[in-house]
Amino acid sequence: MMRSRFDPDRNDAPGLGRAAHNISAMLCVVRTSIFSWAFFLAVGSRALLLPAWPMPSSPQEEPQSAPQPAPPAPVAGANGPVVVLDPAHGGTDTGARGEGGIAERDIVLQMARTVREQLLIQGYRVVLTRKDDSNPSYDDRAAIANAYREAVFVSLHVASTGTPGTVRAYYDQLSTAIAPEPTLAIKSASGLVVWEQAQRPYIDVSRHLADAIQSRLARSFPGSPSQSTGAAVRALRSIMAPSVAIETSSISQSNRDALTGSAGPISSAISDGIAALRPSSAAGEK
Amino acid sequence: MPRGLKIVLVILTAAVVAGLISLQPLRRRVHRLSDLQSAEEQARHAVLAPPISTPTDVTVKAQIFWAAGPDKVAPVDVDLPLSADPVERSRQLLQALIANPPSEQQRTLPADTTLSAFYIVSDGTAIADFSDAIASELPSGILSEQMAVDSIARTLASNVRGLLRLKILIHGQEVDTLAGNVDLTGFFDLSSALASPAAATKATSPR
Repeated sequence: MMRSRFDPDRNDAPGLGRAAHNISAMLCVVRTSIFSWAFFLAVGSRALLLPAWPMPSSPQEEPQSAPQPAPPAPVAGANGPVVVLDPAHGGTDTGARGEGGIAERDIVLQMARTVREQLLIQGYRVVLTRKDDSNPSYDDRAAIANAYREAVFVSLHVASTGTPGTVRAYYDQLSTAIAPEPTLAIKSASGLVVWEQAQRPYIDVSRHLADAIQSRLARSFPGSPSQSTGAAVRALRSIMAPSVAIETSSISQSNRDALTGSAGPISSAISDGIAALRPSSAAGEK
Repeated sequence: MPRGLKIVLVILTAAVVAGLISLQPLRRRVHRLSDLQSAEEQARHAVLAPPISTPTDVTVKAQIFWAAGPDKVAPVDVDLPLSADPVERSRQLLQALIANPPSEQQRTLPADTTLSAFYIVSDGTAIADFSDAIASELPSGILSEQMAVDSIARTLASNVRGLLRLKILIHGQEVDTLAGNVDLTGFFDLSSALASPAAATKATSPR
């Protein structure tokens, strides 16, 4: 077996062996100190350089995960529409960011899981547009909702701003991505619904749903508005079903539990809102 | 304990102590660099967005919509020299909206935002092209993004006649969303943007 020239175990040169041992120890020390410094500087710099202002989101940066077009089998004894819960953002798209690394994408996923459990208990069939830290495209998320004949789409968000502890329900007011004319056809010549216009026939029923949910949210979250708000929410544009976005304020809360804890009252509000909507939910065109 | 291990422990301890000692100066240096960068950005912003003045400027009381609390915008009366030309007038208004909020809490658009271009098409469509900062530095969220759009739309609708709808571009391009939530692919209806301040939380209806 080949031995190092500075192998300390060599019997023929004990003095040389001790020297080699010392040199080896010194080299080890130098390496360790270099790694220690590198580690220290890396951690320290990262902590120092994190901006106080929430970082902008970068939607759709990561490869989009495949849609989940196959509807799951209905739960035994389930009734009513399928509730499609959409935890917003995901993956490299963090959404709103707070101090201490708290990110909207994580909070809304946790909230969606809680809301799902509670709606399942109440007998609803529930589907999530993402079950992990992936970032399906808006179209992938819409495709999941549009795969069901009778669905209600609920997109969950956390705001960067707003009075902490308040929650808002939004319905979509956007109707066109192409031209400003209000007469823009919702259906193509072939009779198919234009994907970008899919929400348009459902705006009224979506507003009723959002109002019903908001009135319940106002009771559970003091300071929340009593009426829902119309906004050009991108996540709702291509949904061919009653759809709302629910946004909790705000990511600035240092207590993560305060945000995730809002999932319980939100699920009750969704359930009550759907119950209030059901007589008119069949008005939507599929 | 082996001598080598002792040396390692001593040097590691020394490294940690040295690191802790150098932490504070490093932090101060980062703050200095941050302040310097901020000052440079302000200076650059001032150079890129000089005050717009035209021969037809007349000082009038303009209504600029800034934040009035955490969740709504409301008009503030401001004496502004405004042009008779609708394009120049719109640019002056949007520049005031970005640069002169009464307080930082009332700001609806990031301070580094610049209006790169503004056009009015013959059918009454206003096209406002902003720099990347309007998206990259705006806090993500439906509420904050809708307030940003609302402040732009209402400020234009209240002070410029003949505008029917608004299209927002970023860096010359149509983009999907403002900062991840609010759809910018459509047109915002300016005729409904003149709703009462009480309804300021209601979004400007896009079409």
